[in-house]
Amino acid sequence: MKFLPLIWSGIWRKPGRTILIFLQVSVAFALFGVLQGLKTGVEHAVAAARADLLLVHARQTFLFSPLPLGLLEEIRSVPGVKVAIPVELTGATYQKPTEGIGIVAVSPEDDWPSAFTYTIAPEYLAAFRKSRTAMLIRDTVTEKYGWKIGDHIPLIMTTTPLKNGSTNWAFDVVGTFTDSDVGVGRARFVLINFPYFDEARAAGKGTVNHFNVAVSDPKLAVTVSDAIDRRFANSSHETKTESLRELAQANVQRIGDFDFLLRAVVGAVLVALLFATTTMMIQSTRERTPELAVVKTLGFTDRAVFLLILAEALVIFLGGAALGLALATLTLPIAAKFVLGLSMPGVVVVIGLVSGMLIALVSAAVPAALAARLRVATALAGHGAA
Amino acid sequence: MSFGRQFVALLAMSLSGFAQRIGSVLTIVIGVTCAVAVLVSMLSMGTGARREALGNARDDRVVFTSLGAQGIGSSIPRDEADTVLNLPGIKKGSDGKPLVVFTAVMLIEAHRRLTDRRVFFPLVGLTGAFTTEFDPKFHLTEGRMFHPGLFELIASNPCVRQYTGFELGARRSIHATDWTVVGYFGQGDTQQCVVVTDAETLMSTFGSNRYTRAAAMLQSLGDYDALRRALEANPTLHLEVRHERESIENDFKGLNALLDFAAYFVGSIMAIGATLGAVNSLYSIVDSRRREIATLRAIGFDSAAIVASILFESILLALPGALLGVLLAWALFHRMSVSPFGFSFRLDVSLTLAAVGIAWALAMGLIGGILPALRAARVPVTTALRAG
Repeated sequence: MKFLPLIWSGIWRKPGRTILIFLQVSVAFALFGVLQGLKTGVEHAVAAARADLLLVHARQTFLFSPLPLGLLEEIRSVPGVKVAIPVELTGATYQKPTEGIGIVAVSPEDDWPSAFTYTIAPEYLAAFRKSRTAMLIRDTVTEKYGWKIGDHIPLIMTTTPLKNGSTNWAFDVVGTFTDSDVGVGRARFVLINFPYFDEARAAGKGTVNHFNVAVSDPKLAVTVSDAIDRRFANSSHETKTESLRELAQANVQRIGDFDFLLRAVVGAVLVALLFATTTMMIQSTRERTPELAVVKTLGFTDRAVFLLILAEALVIFLGGAALGLALATLTLPIAAKFVLGLSMPGVVVVIGLVSGMLIALVSAAVPAALAARLRVATALAGHGAA
Repeated sequence: MSFGRQFVALLAMSLSGFAQRIGSVLTIVIGVTCAVAVLVSMLSMGTGARREALGNARDDRVVFTSLGAQGIGSSIPRDEADTVLNLPGIKKGSDGKPLVVFTAVMLIEAHRRLTDRRVFFPLVGLTGAFTTEFDPKFHLTEGRMFHPGLFELIASNPCVRQYTGFELGARRSIHATDWTVVGYFGQGDTQQCVVVTDAETLMSTFGSNRYTRAAAMLQSLGDYDALRRALEANPTLHLEVRHERESIENDFKGLNALLDFAAYFVGSIMAIGATLGAVNSLYSIVDSRRREIATLRAIGFDSAAIVASILFESILLALPGALLGVLLAWALFHRMSVSPFGFSFRLDVSLTLAAVGIAWALAMGLIGGILPALRAARVPVTTALRAG
């Protein structure tokens, strides 16, 4: 502990240089934190996605491909299926063509929310079941448009006209809900009643986009998925049943090609940093030759001088890395607008601090060794270490 | 002595000292190299994606989509389709029919050759008007054209390279129906797997009564406004029309924003790091020359010449970094195939990007040089000469 003041004064010998190195380390680790946070955050999001919630959709096609509503009874008869709810997806706009809102039409049957990732208050649930034109709005929609309970909201659905050919729909806000599925991010969507929607629309009656299935035991998820898909194999409406986690995994795999690029960037950042700090420290040690010689004259061993220089580097690097990682943690919410499910798990912070220490040790090793090998007489006489 | 001659003399002195200060010099060069290489290779994603998406776009083609829709979320009912055919400004083909092609798009699953990973490719159903008159770049490279109604497919050349089950004559089961691959086609320099058949067969297979979108040839570029006005004046049409280029950009807005954001975000942070490194190195270079600089000031060298020479030196040190960085990005990533978000393209390190990288490096050099240059110009002559 008594060496702390010595280390401290060594660090602040040239404040300008120290601050610049410190900032450089911070910047490098801010970037490291964001990039690693991206990778690890996405992995965490996948692990957090529900494996016991299944989606039954048309095999071979991706979105917008209808399944007959008639499959519902067959799905419900599969052992292990607790709740199965038909879901139809479409899009609407509010006031302007640019203000898009997702429409999720569900059948509000008994226990329907258990097949979804939504959190809805009991009184809103009751109100939603009671009225055919009821609409539940996600918190993101409330934030954007400020709709309140009791509001009568006109929505335009150009792709789903009413029976009379009009595209002007209207729904009554009866409550709000939140969605815990990371995959949907900040998307703005509302819930409406499927039976009403199906009856009122001009085309596509009796078809749905997919079925949401909750299983009675999470361990049965895979068995149930296979059983459902087997029932409809070789029919005109083959299905593919996937859990929310599998869907999340597939999404992550689609950006997998960037792994190599990401690693190359992190590598470039660390190489540049290592090189810059090593030369700076060699430079600094060289300038301090007379001072180090004095320290040695006072009785410091070679080992102590070696450790002194290493300790200085460690302090600067750990401080810089900590600041950088803190900055990254603050930046991530901004980046999360573009990439879903970003977060800064503790493990990234730990990896960051450990690599900070490693780089400190590697880049300080040469200058520290130079300092340790210094011969007092020659150094005091004004001849440098190298 | 004139400013110019002082400047040249100072610069010559700086350059002769490079060998002794190899550590500081390399720090700047390597820092700038890494920053430029990262910026340029990340930007090459956006450039590559745009080149792929806009490669076949034509100025005289327009695209109709349903109001407010993006990508395959668009949907055009048949009755509206008939009205589109009669809109003004649309070019007539040699057979006198308007050159309008309606497309129905379905995303169908395929498996990658190497990884067996499940991906989706667009199966595009086109109406009869699709001819070389409509798209001169379209040409069959092998096999033959599909016959409408017979469940036949033609695939773009990248399909067979990327996915399994696209050999000529291969049968694919789509929606419980057997389809046969009868030909391959090329369409400019595209990396995207697109499979084409006739719209009617595709729509009846999927029990759909709606096209996804429509494209039309304009009689002349000037007819766009008239077409647009006629469309907006018709209350039965819930469609919007855009130039093809604009429509594609609209579909790729999200991806492009993401790629550009990532590139400039990471690139800026790396540039800040490299600039900080350059400032530090230049400070130590200037410090090591305190006596020389003080001497020169004492014999009447101009401060402005000193500042200019150090700024120039800093830029001179950044330039090799810029060139190395661009070269590195080019060697590692140019023409590399990627397919993020199910969209295949090749990274493209273009000349424009090289210029951006070099400009970026010059900025780093200039900004990094300012503080050290000012310090050099302010070296107190007497203390500097007395010291050491």
